[in-house]
Amino acid sequence: MAAVAPEVERTQDVVIKRKVKRQHDWAKWGLGAYFVIFLIFLYAPMILMAILSFQGYYGGVTFPFKGPVGLDWWRSIFESQVGNIFTNADLIRSSGEGSLWLSLAAGGVVAVFAFTLSMAFRRRFRGDGIAFYLIILAMMAPGFLLGLGTQLFWKYMGVQTSLWHTALGANSVWGIPFGFLVMLAIWNRYDDHIDEAARDLGAGAIRTFGEVTLPLIWTGIFGALLFGFTLTWNDYDRTVLLVIGDPTLPLRIVGLIQESALRPDLYALGTATTAVSLALIAVLLIVLVIRSRLRRAPVQRVEEELGLGEGIDTEAAETVVKE
Amino acid sequence: MSSSSTPEPAPLIDVAEIEEAEQAVGAQSERALGVRQAGGRGRGSGWITLAWGLPGFVWLGFFLVAPLVFIVLISFWTRTDTGFDSGHWTLHNYGVLLHPFDLSNAYWSNMLRSFETSVIAVAACLVFGFPVAYFLAMKVKKLQYQIALFILALAPFWTSFTTRSVAWTYPLMGTYGALNRLLVYIGISSFTHPLLDTQFSLLSVRLAMIQLYILFMVTPIFFLLAQVDRHAIEAARDLGGNWWRTFREVILPQTMPGIVIGSIFIFVLTMGEYGTVSVIGQSNVSSVGTYIQNQIQGIQYPQGAASAVLLVVALILGVFVITRLANLREEI
Repeated sequence: MAAVAPEVERTQDVVIKRKVKRQHDWAKWGLGAYFVIFLIFLYAPMILMAILSFQGYYGGVTFPFKGPVGLDWWRSIFESQVGNIFTNADLIRSSGEGSLWLSLAAGGVVAVFAFTLSMAFRRRFRGDGIAFYLIILAMMAPGFLLGLGTQLFWKYMGVQTSLWHTALGANSVWGIPFGFLVMLAIWNRYDDHIDEAARDLGAGAIRTFGEVTLPLIWTGIFGALLFGFTLTWNDYDRTVLLVIGDPTLPLRIVGLIQESALRPDLYALGTATTAVSLALIAVLLIVLVIRSRLRRAPVQRVEEELGLGEGIDTEAAETVVKE
Repeated sequence: MSSSSTPEPAPLIDVAEIEEAEQAVGAQSERALGVRQAGGRGRGSGWITLAWGLPGFVWLGFFLVAPLVFIVLISFWTRTDTGFDSGHWTLHNYGVLLHPFDLSNAYWSNMLRSFETSVIAVAACLVFGFPVAYFLAMKVKKLQYQIALFILALAPFWTSFTTRSVAWTYPLMGTYGALNRLLVYIGISSFTHPLLDTQFSLLSVRLAMIQLYILFMVTPIFFLLAQVDRHAIEAARDLGGNWWRTFREVILPQTMPGIVIGSIFIFVLTMGEYGTVSVIGQSNVSSVGTYIQNQIQGIQYPQGAASAVLLVVALILGVFVITRLANLREEI
């Protein structure tokens, strides 16, 4: 999700910047203040929930905060008895494990199909427009309807809906278009000449892929995997009709709210799942930073092996740019 | 090898620049020759494409196309006590939905309510989201800050909608929720007659929709605003255009595709929404989604399928109208 932004460091821009800044400083600060309010609007509920999850034994589901500050409610999502309260830890653990494996599997499926589909789209083919819209349809189709259709279709085919079959299918279909678009963005920036160079140097198709292509695109595949994982990890609409028996974590949270009185342990659980998701973004960002640091190394190696490393004169390159 | 260990000399070779140049020249010549990108790699390339594409499309066929087509089929079948009878084709399911074509029909009153929710969500996300995208793209000059702030705004998209709905409903809303407590503290509300008695209410659902979906509007607008040529804005100013005119005639047309994409996303996703409504509204708020869910729970599969088909038709109409509106705006 690297933002594509224009270059602002060119000299002509700097001159302009000063002129505008003097006139419109207030607009910048006004919008900046608005942005802060926007962030509060986005984050406040989650932060309130996190704060309330650290209450003591008598803690309720709304403010005021009832101390002492403690980890009792956090312990109660892992241990089946805290003090003399029986917790839902067993239910949460089984759902959490199911959710985790399902999300990992969906991430894998999304990564594989996002990659293979994007490989197909590297060349034009007949009907590629329709095929593209089909993939985008997976993004646009309301999740609840997709869950409904999946349930009815597979029941009609004589297959019982389950976590590992229909839920995996419906969830991976939701992730595939996101992963696919990430991969398309990667291929857009990818230089086919690198592959050609590797082949000219005598590498076979598999070796070219393993040593040249894969090091350049693996972050895209990893991004697709993360998309598949988080979308599945968080999904409710698609899964609600498709799971019999042990529900996934989001379904369990809603089920616990509807069946029993709400307690701060659900706040702790919600905060924990949110933290998992946010940690995954952090992982993705770190990977992206590493990639941008390493990105040029493999390219340079190919250039060097081709003997281009030393001999290219920048003048010639610049004239090409101007053309 | 790595550029960080050696102090970078005067850029003898700028690989990125050469790549760019090659791509530019390549694209030009390909355009001139009518050759498509990497298309003519010789015999058998069709088979290779097929081999790459087939598994993914088979998967999509089983889990995307087949379910959607099956909903359409089932909506024409007859209901039985255990489900449906594929032998008897009927229009009865649609007749029931269409017969009293007014708001006394539960289906249409739910449709109207969901439609209102969607329109409010689209409008509010546009009005409140645009300044955010504008600030990020235009007012934050340093690229690193821009990316950091954008990710900070985007991060909640990756967290669970269910959890965010719970966080929205219980600590914040309601008579004893944080919001009303704040209002009481200010002195414009009380616990006996709360100004905002919003827990499990339609208002709460609609407010939460804005919070949950606004990033779908901010993101595409941000990407397009970031690409707007600054020189065009300067030129418009130099030619005497004031802020509003520059905005309307230079910036807005270039961000229109982003607004359209965001609107389509939010419209479709909020109209078909089920989970958020059922968590935030509990049983007090109904929508098309909860209506269909009720039919499914009552083993009214064909009826539910027909409701779903009409919902999809409404969604397609809505998307069509949104694209048309955008075109109109451009023509004026």
